Amino acid sequence: MTSASTPMEAHRVTDAPPRARFRARSVAPWLFLAVPLLFALVFKFVPLAEGVRMSFFRVQPLLGDEFVGFANYTRVLGDPRFQDAFSHTLLLGFGTTVGAMVVGFFFALLFEGSSRLLRAARTAVFLPVVTAVAVIGEIWRLLYIPSEVGFLNSILGALGIPAQPFLSDPGTALLWVGVVGIWTTAPYNMVIVLAGLAGIDRSLYEAAAVDGARLRHRIMSVVLPGLRASISVILTLAAIRSLRLFTEVFVLTGGGPAGSTEVWMTRTYSIGFASNDLGVASAASMLLLLATVVLTVVVRRFTSSKGAP
Amino acid sequence: MIHPTSSRPRRIAIALLASIAVIGPLAACSSDDASGGASESGPLEVWTRTDATAAETYDDMFAAFTEETGIEIDHQPVVEFDTQLQARAAQQDLPDLLINDAGSLGEYVSQGFLAPVDRESLAGQEDISDASWDQTLGTDGTTYGVPFSRQANIVIARKDWRETLGLALPTTWQELDDLADAFATGDPDGNGQADTYGMAVPGTAQNGYIARWGVPYIWQAGGELLEQDGEGYTSVVDSPETLEGLEFIRDQFCTPGHVVPGSINYATSDIRSFQEGAAGMYLTGPYNFNSFDDAVGRENVEVIPMPEGPEGTTTFAEGENIYYGSTRERTDDRAALTEFLISAEGQEMGMDSPAAGGDGPFYSVVRLPVNTTLEAGEVYADDRWQVTADAYADASETFPWNINFIPFRQVLADGMNAMMADCESDLPALLEGIDAGFETELANQGLAR
Repeated sequence: MTSASTPMEAHRVTDAPPRARFRARSVAPWLFLAVPLLFALVFKFVPLAEGVRMSFFRVQPLLGDEFVGFANYTRVLGDPRFQDAFSHTLLLGFGTTVGAMVVGFFFALLFEGSSRLLRAARTAVFLPVVTAVAVIGEIWRLLYIPSEVGFLNSILGALGIPAQPFLSDPGTALLWVGVVGIWTTAPYNMVIVLAGLAGIDRSLYEAAAVDGARLRHRIMSVVLPGLRASISVILTLAAIRSLRLFTEVFVLTGGGPAGSTEVWMTRTYSIGFASNDLGVASAASMLLLLATVVLTVVVRRFTSSKGAP
Repeated sequence: MIHPTSSRPRRIAIALLASIAVIGPLAACSSDDASGGASESGPLEVWTRTDATAAETYDDMFAAFTEETGIEIDHQPVVEFDTQLQARAAQQDLPDLLINDAGSLGEYVSQGFLAPVDRESLAGQEDISDASWDQTLGTDGTTYGVPFSRQANIVIARKDWRETLGLALPTTWQELDDLADAFATGDPDGNGQADTYGMAVPGTAQNGYIARWGVPYIWQAGGELLEQDGEGYTSVVDSPETLEGLEFIRDQFCTPGHVVPGSINYATSDIRSFQEGAAGMYLTGPYNFNSFDDAVGRENVEVIPMPEGPEGTTTFAEGENIYYGSTRERTDDRAALTEFLISAEGQEMGMDSPAAGGDGPFYSVVRLPVNTTLEAGEVYADDRWQVTADAYADASETFPWNINFIPFRQVLADGMNAMMADCESDLPALLEGIDAGFETELANQGLAR
């Protein structure tokens, strides 16, 4: 808003002395920003700096912290549990991202339009996004109850399929956690894709129809190229979010069984808050930050080099 | 959208006011923190790890204490106890007195949180057994806590189910196994459906639940975890005896119907199967009696003394201690409160037995009294508590309390969870992994010999 006002205000205040005009104009936006900046400083940047500091110390709040150099980092990188957690995180992040994008895209095609029924359907589909993840986790845990009386198993039972262990089987637990992740994030992607679809020039569809293109061709040659910006947004958000995945896993399985669903954040949490080793937990968090930055930059590079806007 | 320039000073003023509104409270906060340190007068600050219900029991006790002595208590029930305590430690200002897990002693000592306790100067200290006092010694031989409450895990079972099936109380592992089998297959609730299971199990590795649940079977088979050796420890977990105990546990997990499906991911708070009449047994602490009685009827809830394994009936014991924050120095007031809390009167109030009357909440913060002049069975007027007290006295073992055992507990729980998650898992290899994890942690804590 402030930047938009610049040319018009400059026109209005031509009588004022130039220096005073400059000062008032440059101070006002900072004053507006003061509140959010202060919040960011106190609640984001100071804790971040403190986290960086703690990652180099053996943290003992009362006795005084003890500098240990990179020992905390070495412990994280050398810990097989963290290595497993890292691969689970990547697997889950990648699977959830792809799954949520495909499902979101499918939903968007299904629910695009302006009829009242479609609007109601879109709202219903969007609900998981505005529901607290902890609540979603609890609900899915009930759905996944592995005995015959569990909700999903009773449906499977009616279809003649034997009861599934779902989250109890170390071989498949990660998959079922991923399904919950897809269910939660797909509707958000749907909205982004819907916005992208609205931006596609209708005449392109008509031209494609005239050229005799089938649905498959229309999706590949018109819709997907038109959605490049939307997909870039989805991927960037996914890159930032997927690595710090925590709540779903924590509520659904707590990292089990046999550590098969342990992700980077649940491991960090248990080191930091169950074992009270805040130094090592901080080092793990810093590594996560680093990985997130790298992944985000890579995704941005990758998606923006595919074509200029 | 664009307003005349005359409104700009006003905008600036608003922005300034808003900034002050944000900075003001923050500044106020930090000045609060600075002044919080020196509280050598005023009410005694006491922290307990309790939710709202249990806090009521404490409040009643503290009210009685204040009435007797005139010393005011500022009681802070804290659920996220250790996280909050760390935060207070960072401010160099701990509470005067804390009541928390006896197992936290080693960690608190290593972090410098605790002031030593002068046992001999406490009136009534002789009513606590030497065995209990010994549990409050640090590795340096100094007393760092005062015993407050103890408990032993016991098998809680559905008496009506057992009687319906015409089975006796199990006294051996084999009979326990048979009973689980009967509960699973004999339709003990008589509804004609196969919807009952042998036992409810908290099987998640989170917070070490499966280790706390399952360790009695390791001990009953003759296995041990760590062995104290002067001020250090060695890992003795990798033994044929431990393996035998773990095999028994896995047999339960892998025999259909013995363990409620899904248990491998359950924490204690997830367990509803016993209360809902789906599971017939639950190895847990005596604090659950009230809620189980409410759920399935008191006449149907019995306590089974630990069935005997190859080497005995040892069960898992825990407890709570009274600790003194090291940053405060109100020795006399703290001693007065401690003397009240360990007295027969204080302990009995803490047990909050329905048999004693009063208006509740009947939530015992003292489970088994540490005061030897009291008998749990009598105070609670409930034989099940006496069975628990006998189990504690006759054959119980605790995790080591004088070191930070939490990381060890996690290693054990992770290993056990992995063993029980897969019926084909390689138990000896996973046990070797637990042993290696113990050795690593001993080295981390500088305890290795």
